[in-house]
Amino acid sequence: MRMRTRAAVTAAVLALGLPGMAAAVRVNDPLYVKAKNTRVQQGPSSTADTVVILQPGEKVTWKGADPKNKQWHQVEAPGGKKGFVFQTNLSTTQPNMELVTDKDGTRQLDPKKFVASGAAVKALSPGAEAYGKGKKGDYEKAVADIKALEKRNEQLTPERIAAHVAEAGLFPVVGPSDKVASKKSSGKKGGN
Amino acid sequence: MGSRLKMLAMLGVGTLAVSCRGVDFNTLVNKGASAAPQLAKGAVEVVECKKLDVEPTVAEEYALGGALAIHFVQRGGGLMFSTAEEKKLHDYVNIVGKNLAAQSLRPTLNWTFGVLNDTEQFNALSAPGGYVLVTRRLLMEVDNEGQLAGALAHEIAHGVLKHAIRQYNAQKVDACQTAQGAKAVGKAVLSALSANTLLAALETGGTLDLDNEPELLAYLTEKTLAAFDEGNGPKLEFEADRMAVQLMLSAGYDPAAYLGLISKMTDVKNQKNHPKKQERRDKLVAYLDTLKGTADEFPEVATEGLRSPKLKQPDYAVIRPASSSGVAKDSVK
Repeated sequence: MRMRTRAAVTAAVLALGLPGMAAAVRVNDPLYVKAKNTRVQQGPSSTADTVVILQPGEKVTWKGADPKNKQWHQVEAPGGKKGFVFQTNLSTTQPNMELVTDKDGTRQLDPKKFVASGAAVKALSPGAEAYGKGKKGDYEKAVADIKALEKRNEQLTPERIAAHVAEAGLFPVVGPSDKVASKKSSGKKGGN
Repeated sequence: MGSRLKMLAMLGVGTLAVSCRGVDFNTLVNKGASAAPQLAKGAVEVVECKKLDVEPTVAEEYALGGALAIHFVQRGGGLMFSTAEEKKLHDYVNIVGKNLAAQSLRPTLNWTFGVLNDTEQFNALSAPGGYVLVTRRLLMEVDNEGQLAGALAHEIAHGVLKHAIRQYNAQKVDACQTAQGAKAVGKAVLSALSANTLLAALETGGTLDLDNEPELLAYLTEKTLAAFDEGNGPKLEFEADRMAVQLMLSAGYDPAAYLGLISKMTDVKNQKNHPKKQERRDKLVAYLDTLKGTADEFPEVATEGLRSPKLKQPDYAVIRPASSSGVAKDSVK
């Protein structure tokens, strides 16, 4: 990839209308946590001890990249705890927290409580289900298929996602658990 | 779809420009003559109906998305979800998809990824509320997990960017205008009850409780489906391409896999608005060139350690045996 000037990059990104890429963030500026169970580690490694686990939408202060492991970034978490977070767990743009805000967007629930509550579990909406059943035939079968799939998906935990990511050698973004383990966290877990 | 709304407003939508606020349709049906004074209000009334062009609630989005997903599953010959092997395949596709979606700007939605039985069309679709569907044909042709992730990421991007919601909102506004105009000349499109529900929404923020409005859900779903079948315009497709690549870079996939995916596509002939694949590829290559910041800025996009892993076996065996599941490629940039 060829390097271009930041002005050109910013102009291009703004022209695209894409969130998350437009704001230039410098040391001591805020960043937002993207994914579930984002681990703040004691050192710049997925196998270091976990200091604290953060959830989507939580704000941290960027303290810069680790000089040796540049994909690990030092941050100050809410409450003042410091540690290292993997680069792509962090975003310059706050994610849409639509399921933890009121209709008017003012009152935010605690993202930690949201993740723990299972509030994001989705089933086919009652209106959609009635609509499909009313059309009968293949549509009714489609309703049954979607409901069965969504039921089975309830067993697809962040732990299984994290295990696949480790096995495939992808980035350790989604953490396996919302609780800090008593021993070293294992970013290199085996398969499903 | 926003441009369509603007066009309607510019044209004044003459015959439909009756006030959508505070009018009881019951009093208008078969009383075209008495509606004449209302028709004179013109463009002001179009603006009233545009009050329905708002962000839907999550419940509204789930209802619309669920109903659209039912259509997509029906059209695709049902989900490939009968045998234990097929269910295992779904687990794999959902793990890959949920990992990407968790890194999107809509991380609290609970995303659902389905495989359609369709073995003819190389296709992927998305519906609001986090529904993503891919055809069995597409799965038969991808070479590695990076390409699978690319297809899912593109559809996640449409969901994050709420492209189908634009089409839905345009149908809400159209429904407000069309129902009013049709009723004024005695040809009801919606029942009086549903039409009045639309009117009431003008005063309550523009959102609809579709789970409790079956006629509106059916009408707006089928209208949105018809608009969907026209395909997204090139601008929206390019937007989804770029966000898809961002998601892949976030998760650790080599974006070269996305270019490989595009090269496998056949240009969609039945969607007149869909852009040509060569143009998509060219624009994406140009975009990838722009993705580096300066040394003192937080680098949101990873450029090292990117991979295109093999398709996971035996999870993928129901599509393709392990011996031909693709070649792993560590292509560090």
